[in-house]
Amino acid sequence: MALDIRGLVDAKQGTVDPRIYQDEEIYQQELKNVFARCWLFLAHDSQIPNPGDYMTTYMGEDPVLVVRKRDGSVGVFMNQCRHRGMRLCRADAGSAKSFSCSYHGWTYDLSGNLVGVPSEDDAYHNEINKAEWGAIKVAQVDNYRGFIFGTWDPTAPPLIDYIGDFRFYFDAFADRTEAGTELLGGAHRWVFPANWKFAAEQFCSDMYHAPISHASAVLALTPDDQDVDEEVFPMEGMKGRQFSSELGHGTGFFVESGDVLANIVGQKPADWFQGGNPEAVERLGDARAQRMRGAHATLFPNFSFLPGINTLRIWHPKGPNEMEVWAWTLVDKNAPADVREAQRIGTGRTFSVAGMFEQDDGENWSEIQRVLRGHMARQSSFNVQMGLGHEWHDDPDFPGKVNRVYCEMAARGFYRRWADMASGMSWDELMASVGAAVEVSG
Amino acid sequence: MTAQLESSPVTSVDAELQHQIEQFLYLEARFLDERRFEEWLDLFSDDIHYWMPTRSVRYERELDKEFSAPNEVAHFDENKRALEERVTRIRSGMAWAEEPPSRTRHMVHNVIIEPGDSPAELLVRSNILLYRGRLDRDVDLFVGFRQDVLRRSEDADYGWLIARRAIYLDQTLILAKNMSIFF
Repeated sequence: MALDIRGLVDAKQGTVDPRIYQDEEIYQQELKNVFARCWLFLAHDSQIPNPGDYMTTYMGEDPVLVVRKRDGSVGVFMNQCRHRGMRLCRADAGSAKSFSCSYHGWTYDLSGNLVGVPSEDDAYHNEINKAEWGAIKVAQVDNYRGFIFGTWDPTAPPLIDYIGDFRFYFDAFADRTEAGTELLGGAHRWVFPANWKFAAEQFCSDMYHAPISHASAVLALTPDDQDVDEEVFPMEGMKGRQFSSELGHGTGFFVESGDVLANIVGQKPADWFQGGNPEAVERLGDARAQRMRGAHATLFPNFSFLPGINTLRIWHPKGPNEMEVWAWTLVDKNAPADVREAQRIGTGRTFSVAGMFEQDDGENWSEIQRVLRGHMARQSSFNVQMGLGHEWHDDPDFPGKVNRVYCEMAARGFYRRWADMASGMSWDELMASVGAAVEVSG
Repeated sequence: MTAQLESSPVTSVDAELQHQIEQFLYLEARFLDERRFEEWLDLFSDDIHYWMPTRSVRYERELDKEFSAPNEVAHFDENKRALEERVTRIRSGMAWAEEPPSRTRHMVHNVIIEPGDSPAELLVRSNILLYRGRLDRDVDLFVGFRQDVLRRSEDADYGWLIARRAIYLDQTLILAKNMSIFF
């Protein structure tokens, strides 16, 4: 291959070549080496509670069916008939006993095994070996605290190692109570005419954009007697932290003031998420249960969430120039009714296609993408240097590599991981480079 | 005052009331298209519930699940204060999705009026076709229907207030980068 993908990202100097967002050849490498190898978030347990419940989603651009099987486990297989390639199921979700292709009628059970072929005796002379023609199954499926992930790659490391040192931060979202979490019904799904990495990187690493891009929403939602700089979005970087994993994951949050949550979802959910749930404080400790606030996060490559606001989303790639976002609202199963209700309304009002914050993200990403049509616009690198060389590893409260909240360290980590993976680096090499960091996870 | 109702095989209201309601909806559309958002807000009652559920692709036997339920997530689930906050945002000069502003054209069709729960209220169903042009090349088309409750009000400038609005779009995946506009 002519293109040196690793050369397009310089994490040491803090630059990325804009072709990574736009080039078709790079995109094909990305589908093959990133999306067909990584652990990808598929669904939450609560979306398919009963045997036969299914939903359709994508891994990269490959459509998959995620099905609750009769034994309670989850089956994930390509949403494609093995006969002539037709999409097996064309609904977003539902409940089924089996999946029958609408083209010629080949029928698959809830595990994706081929169980029925019309005219098997007459047309096929009973010579077809149905065991060989089941739907293509995802190589590994695992469940972390109700979050179902899958990977096409049988050699990918276990999910727990893939999450690695990010687990400490993911748990602040996913492991607040023994009862766990559930998704509310309904999904916000829409299209951005922009590369998926703009969104994934922003949720990974970019608190810096919030006071500018979302100035109007902050203004509209902040009561007149509140000081935005002091109480909502503090502009001092040391009032927050950013974390970057060698595995490509990242998060950032305020730890002193920064009570944006109360303005977004209301005081009661803010209190619930910031110390008001004694079980969460017990499980997570003071730093994560009380002091982390207004957090953004991405689990590499394309699963992002905002703890507290509790939107979570997948950025599905749709060619280099387009993505779909599929977003849901997560609640603690044992949250009081008024907290759930405020969460339900608050998430949609702020982070959704009509959300007062997220509307403006679409404008940014789509216009960057449009500018990158220009030849000259692609000739100079983007600047990802914020906070370069200022990280520390011995924070008393927040383990791993951390930095000030306004920082692009996690973006550098995200892009370095992306370049290593997209260029085809083996899992042995990929995991060897992070061995020391993963030990921190605990 | 009681809304005038007169039964017939196809409509339960007389031509004058039909005309009046249609003109009211056209006026509302005009306020939106002319970005007269403060005047638009005045058309809503203080207890307005403005709601647009999400939608998913379902097979026929599960079509009752295609729209999100009232206790599930929605694109809009707004009271009067939330609508006012959205207008405050747009007017801030920093709402980049609306600065420069979108150009909208609200077409309102197929207005069907039925009696409401109280004598002062009407159920008004209308189809909408909403064109949004933005910057030089952004084009979005939203099609759907609305179910409104219109309430007779002597105090209202135009005689009626919108007391409830439910908007049902004919897209599942929203084919737009945002919905920074009103329906």
